[in-house]
Amino acid sequence: MFKSSLSFSLPLMNAAGTLGFAPELRLHRELGQLGAFLTNPVSLTPRTPAHGVRYLTYPGGFLLHTGYPNPGLEAVLRRCVPRWERSPIPVIVHLLGQGVDDLASMALRLESVPGVMGIELGFPKDATHNLVRAFVEAACGELPVIARLPVDQAVELAPTALDAGAEAVSLGAPRGALPLPGRRLVEGRLYGPALFPQALAAVRTLVQMGVLVIGAGGVYFQAQVQSMLSAGALAVQLDSVLWRGNWVSTAD
Amino acid sequence: MATYPGRVNEVRQDCGGALEAFVACPSSAVPPPGRYLSAYALVDIDAPLATPLFLSQLAPGGFWAAPPFPASWLPGTELILRGPLGTGFDLSSSIARLALAGLSDSPARLLPLALVALKRDCAVTLYTDAHLSALPSTLEIYPLSSLHEALTWPDLLALDLPLERLPALRDLLGLQPGDLLPCPAQALIWTPMPCAGLAECGACAVPSHRGYKLACEDGPVFPINHLEW
Repeated sequence: MFKSSLSFSLPLMNAAGTLGFAPELRLHRELGQLGAFLTNPVSLTPRTPAHGVRYLTYPGGFLLHTGYPNPGLEAVLRRCVPRWERSPIPVIVHLLGQGVDDLASMALRLESVPGVMGIELGFPKDATHNLVRAFVEAACGELPVIARLPVDQAVELAPTALDAGAEAVSLGAPRGALPLPGRRLVEGRLYGPALFPQALAAVRTLVQMGVLVIGAGGVYFQAQVQSMLSAGALAVQLDSVLWRGNWVSTAD
Repeated sequence: MATYPGRVNEVRQDCGGALEAFVACPSSAVPPPGRYLSAYALVDIDAPLATPLFLSQLAPGGFWAAPPFPASWLPGTELILRGPLGTGFDLSSSIARLALAGLSDSPARLLPLALVALKRDCAVTLYTDAHLSALPSTLEIYPLSSLHEALTWPDLLALDLPLERLPALRDLLGLQPGDLLPCPAQALIWTPMPCAGLAECGACAVPSHRGYKLACEDGPVFPINHLEW
């Protein structure tokens, strides 16, 4: 196999975790707008949902702490490969980095799976340069690797990811915390329209650094997609707007 | 996935004093009891997510949606509706005695069951601590504290409660962890469902005896004896 380059018929895709593990017929309206399908995060072994509070709102968005539940790579392959093969758009599998050995074996396994165009790699919170380098190197093989870096760390970590072999960087949700009664804090990923200015600034800076970047974060309108593309983004990922609905007519 | 246009035509107080909305929509969009619609108001351009709408009462040309819904929804608000989604209540024709128990802020999501059952001449009781008005006179109402005395009476107990109140329900009924209810029971588990069945995101996960279930897809109504509580 040859190492494919990243190019998309349409510069839009869903963010990992927003439309499930495989493109389904019931999503035809959403899929018709996209140039690639990102799977939910997949780990080598099954993961169950996080305990406790998993969703909180704040003005402008919401916090999500799900634990990235998934049935593990082999179960996902059994369930999804036929649909990946039939997909009208390329499939990019998001791998959840837990360890170097896990990632290397998952990436190798995916090389022989039909319908897979590439790998998007997720990192644990508070990822360091060393961890990013080790994970990207472990995942690099025949399939192109996109490193998904939290928008608030992307500028710092992107050079390391590219140096380790990633072809591009995509922007992931930043982390935050919200209080519960009793002063306990819940940590999680942040989504919502309030993130867009931060995400656009990160896209601009990364492009200026020469990084191939897939923008994401707080995109709710077609004009925001155009802003990211005009800033030099290779493509743009949609996240919570797909859950809210009406993206298609918003785009019209 | 089916989407429909909808419109808020009227807003009124429900039987518990909270606001409910009349949503005009095609009949195929009306959610059966316990199922839901994912609704987005076109005026809420900054809303991060849609709102789940549950049936409170059927009406010609649409349905009354149970609370809560955004305060910005006024008569005339145009909606985009997706659904009906999820799994709702199963009120089989063999049921003659129906008990309803509302542990959420409003029992409105249970009322369509009561109306269906009363039409079938079933005996229906409602257990709630909410202050209620304008309910059918044939509906008997008791405080939640008496629910444990009635568990052998109904053919079906239908509950509506937040996920975090499952342990409180166990205490209310005087059950130990792992005990089964003596009557068939279905529970509408009220929990945020941000992806509304699109992503298996796990935010609405409910623990069951066979791993976790997703309220947005597998529920939000579950046979309660299938759940870990």
